[in-house]
Amino acid sequence: MTSITELMTHDHRACDEVFATIETAVAKGDWDKAGAALTAFGEALEAHLSAEETTIFPRFESASGMVDGPTRMMRMEHTEMRRGLDNMRDALERKDADDLSGEAETLLILMQQHNMKEENILYPMCDNHLSGEMATLGPKITSQLKASGA
Amino acid sequence: MNMAAGNALGYEAAPAFSAPLRFFLTAPLFGVLAGVLLLVMPELLESRWTPGALALTHLVTVGFMLTVMLGAMFQILPVVAGAPIPATTVVATIVHLLMSAGAVALVWGLGAPAPDVLVIAVWLLGAGCAVFFVAAAIALLRVPITQATPRDMRFALIGLGIAILLGLTLAMIIARGLALPLVPLLKLHVGWAWLGGVGMLLGATAWIVVPMFQITPPYPAALTRYWAFATFTTLLIWSATVMYELTSIEFVIVIALVALAGAFIGNTLALQRRSRKSIPDITQRAFQLGLGSLIAGLICILVSYHSDSPLWPVLSGVLILHGGFISVMLGMLYKIVPFLAWLHLTQAGVRAPNMKKLQPDAPVRKQLIAHAITLAALIVATLGVSAWAGRIAGMLMTIEFAWLLNNMINVIRAYRRAGSA
Repeated sequence: MTSITELMTHDHRACDEVFATIETAVAKGDWDKAGAALTAFGEALEAHLSAEETTIFPRFESASGMVDGPTRMMRMEHTEMRRGLDNMRDALERKDADDLSGEAETLLILMQQHNMKEENILYPMCDNHLSGEMATLGPKITSQLKASGA
Repeated sequence: MNMAAGNALGYEAAPAFSAPLRFFLTAPLFGVLAGVLLLVMPELLESRWTPGALALTHLVTVGFMLTVMLGAMFQILPVVAGAPIPATTVVATIVHLLMSAGAVALVWGLGAPAPDVLVIAVWLLGAGCAVFFVAAAIALLRVPITQATPRDMRFALIGLGIAILLGLTLAMIIARGLALPLVPLLKLHVGWAWLGGVGMLLGATAWIVVPMFQITPPYPAALTRYWAFATFTTLLIWSATVMYELTSIEFVIVIALVALAGAFIGNTLALQRRSRKSIPDITQRAFQLGLGSLIAGLICILVSYHSDSPLWPVLSGVLILHGGFISVMLGMLYKIVPFLAWLHLTQAGVRAPNMKKLQPDAPVRKQLIAHAITLAALIVATLGVSAWAGRIAGMLMTIEFAWLLNNMINVIRAYRRAGSA
């Protein structure tokens, strides 16, 4: 049975791959391609965040009783990540390569330190509490992640 | 998994900006002192055994490197291991004061040489390390081991602890004539510090940092699973061969240690070549310079076993410390400091400028070029061309570290401006 840690860690890496294509396109000055890449990344990121916010976190909170704990912090960081994405869209619209690269750098580090905490701490905690439910939870998460096509 | 680990994810558990920053801003000052010392006494690169050379080495290793590593640990342990150091701000303040004063006393005691000052250094550094290691142990014991990085972080901390204990013992041999064999213990001190402490810490951090921030495939599972354990065990066997003077076996074990270090370096370079990031960023460049220098340094170590020339040990020191570890640390500092500035602004509810506005690329790139030129000058100076080569290397080193400090201070200025806007 696939664990939440494996499933979600794999999706983090998949999002990273899409993220990298934005920078490559901007470096080549191909703004159309960069726009398409940013859209694809936005969809992949949103699918991932919403799988956590609507499925994994609520299940973890009710199983562990930790409502105000780690998931609250992760939700707050999701808000920052969505704002970072908006900043990137804004820079792309203005075709400001410097600004876009600064926003991308910031979002990448924010995203990766967030991922580290999830992969090393929160997901293993989720697996501890939810391993019995994976038969139903697993397919649901997978279909939510797939919605983006990433 | 328990509550302590879960709590590590709270904003409350994140250390105040000042906790790591006080270390990061102090470290370059020791680098500047090292540069000035070399500028005044360019003959210090001739042999590793003179009091001045010992002082120079420890300005770089204890003054710069250990200070940066301790500062980073306050930030890294909560994020990668879910292990926030208890009473972070208080512990950071105490450790920082003891270690900084201890580093000054150590360098003075070794360089003058002044045995009484060296004893004071042992007390200060011993106390500073004791506070840090107890706090880190409490933090790490509270969380179970689930991933390679937190486990290897433990190995690295033990390795670093062994290196420091050996160092303190050596200081007591020099200062108080403790009846213990100096040369083998010195060898162990260097081996444990380079590979057991800094090398393993670099490995434990790289398992996570390289794939995530440079967007590469993961390290091979066998490497992350066994490398730290194999390295630690091999270091223990090597230590026995050194203490029992089993010279021929020792060289075989040294080859094994070099091969282990090479496996880490080779895999890291191979992964970086497969990075999805189309433009290698500053950290990646610094990593490449660092890893390349480490390979060259390892070759010098092997040569030093078959040559009586004092050149090889000094050259390996220059390549591994300045070229290897400091390059990697610069790359990491240039990511950590602006990100923390951004993070603390964001947490304070300020709409923070992005990282490249807080820390523009141009001065960072120039400082790293200065660092690379300094390395070249240090190598030339070590080859003993003329005293002027040493002076130039010292001058460049002074500039390099002052520049680093200036770049970090500019990030803090931008942080303050954004915070008060």
